[in-house]
Amino acid sequence: MFSKILIANRGEIALRIIRACRELDIQTVAVYSEADRNSLHVRFADEAVCIGPAPSSESYLNIPAIIAAAEITDVEAIHPGYGFLAENAHFAEICASCNITFIGPASETIRSMGDKVVAKETMRKMGVPLTPGSDGVVPTKEEALKIAQQIKYPVIIKAASGGGGKGMRVCHNDVSLISSFMMAKNEAEANFGNPDVYIEKYIEDPRHVEFQIVADHYGNVIHLGERDCSIQRRHQKLLEESPSPVLTEQLRKKMGEAAVKAAKAANYVSMGTIEFLVDSSGEFYFMEMNTRIQVEHPVTEMVTGIDLVKEQIRIAAGEKLSFKQDDVKLQGAAIECRINAEDPDNNFMPSPGKIEELHLPGGYGVRIDTHIYNGYEICPFYDSMVAKLIVHGRDRAEAIRIMGRALEEFYISPIKTTIGLHSRILSNQLFLDGKVSTHFLEKMLKPDTIS
Amino acid sequence: MNLKELREIIKLMNDNELSEVELEHEGTKIKLKKLSSSVPEATVTIPTTQYQSVLPQQPVQGQTEVSSKPANRKEITSPMVGTFYRAPSPDSPPYVEVGEIVEVGQVVCIVEAMKLMNEIKSEIKGKIVEIPVENAHPVEYGQTLFVLEPV
Repeated sequence: MFSKILIANRGEIALRIIRACRELDIQTVAVYSEADRNSLHVRFADEAVCIGPAPSSESYLNIPAIIAAAEITDVEAIHPGYGFLAENAHFAEICASCNITFIGPASETIRSMGDKVVAKETMRKMGVPLTPGSDGVVPTKEEALKIAQQIKYPVIIKAASGGGGKGMRVCHNDVSLISSFMMAKNEAEANFGNPDVYIEKYIEDPRHVEFQIVADHYGNVIHLGERDCSIQRRHQKLLEESPSPVLTEQLRKKMGEAAVKAAKAANYVSMGTIEFLVDSSGEFYFMEMNTRIQVEHPVTEMVTGIDLVKEQIRIAAGEKLSFKQDDVKLQGAAIECRINAEDPDNNFMPSPGKIEELHLPGGYGVRIDTHIYNGYEICPFYDSMVAKLIVHGRDRAEAIRIMGRALEEFYISPIKTTIGLHSRILSNQLFLDGKVSTHFLEKMLKPDTIS
Repeated sequence: MNLKELREIIKLMNDNELSEVELEHEGTKIKLKKLSSSVPEATVTIPTTQYQSVLPQQPVQGQTEVSSKPANRKEITSPMVGTFYRAPSPDSPPYVEVGEIVEVGQVVCIVEAMKLMNEIKSEIKGKIVEIPVENAHPVEYGQTLFVLEPV
């Protein structure tokens, strides 16, 4: 087991990792930008190193600074968290060459799964169902037109090096396809440094259902059930739950097996997630693979009783998986609400600033993963998520009641947050009936919609 | 330093609303620090006793500091994380010493990271009055390497 780990991240996930390390008796090193000097992750860690000024590019994305910090504190491993350098194959490579264990999969795996076209090709070879679409990169708009006519509109153009919902364009006919095609390529070049795009059938009213995968260095790969992340705004997840209200035991088994097959196809080690789209007839299609621990991992932790971060660290240290597929049972239901410092009544404008009053919810079945505290200054340089509120109940109905109750207890002032928005989602009939697709939230937010 | 003197220092701190005092007197060094009002409330327990920085903790923004540095002193801070070296090699003499006057652009030290030696140049002209970091010790971004008095 490692004796010291550096956490190359900030905010709630840095705290999460530090907590897991504490329980495993591992010393921790926090890195921070000048803006995060008073952050909780800095105070909770055993050691802390300032690595740069506020901008991410000069701090949390600054590979030389992070490696230098790892060297002077003499750590054995680096945990990248999520975002930042978590899926940066180059960073994983540098860690390996400096003899520091990168807590995640190998750099080649990150590279191949990071290229969405390569990822799909890998899955196709293993017989994992894919969304109908182009056979790889689409080079010209003539080719794009041909494919669109083949698979039928609507179609979606995606960046090969994209991810996290960025760089996607939906087209309903030839005219919009032609105009979108070149724009999509330009955007891809600007955002990801690679203009390659591919095309998929755009599935109407899909559900986003992802499977948590865990694999060790000994070839053991299992899945830990699903998370339904259909509630999204601009392709960013807001609320996640497990189990998915639409999965039957049969479909869960089928998708779970496909997810394990996908992970094995990628020679996967560590924690990962296979994302699927599920259409209204129960057909599922591979979308992409995320080669990191995810924001919404606590949802799976609550229904399986497994600490995913500790397991991830154990695997990186060379241990075997501590359980088998048959040991994994989903108990009860869990829901997570991502609380962002944004004003939902003002086009989700970010709301940084000092927290003057804070009261966190509690009680049986309530979990809060957060880095905020009374008097904390939310800075404008990083993402706006300030807390994750997670609940667990005996079934979905109870989990919804607990979440509603917990949201009412949650008080932050004067910062504007999405707490109120979550309360609205939780009282929406479509949500209560479990009948939401990925378009649900956009529809709900339109002023003429009755919630 | 006896208990009576300690009590007087604490009274001085309270009367003048000081949060941190560092004193050196006849070989004894003492540092007194008050918990500031911006410490998080009871919902979170901060294990301040367990937190030891490998590097000297920078003063928290907004806290008053009793400093022995006059206001006109300038600092050369580290632009990167790494190991601080006073000289280009173990056998060479240090680039600069306390009391020396450095010019703009003059190399004052090396900060090494990932086996790369980075020469740090002074951006100001001044006389070195203090070198708070020891040779071959780790430094973080923004850490004070040299304190200068302008000439």
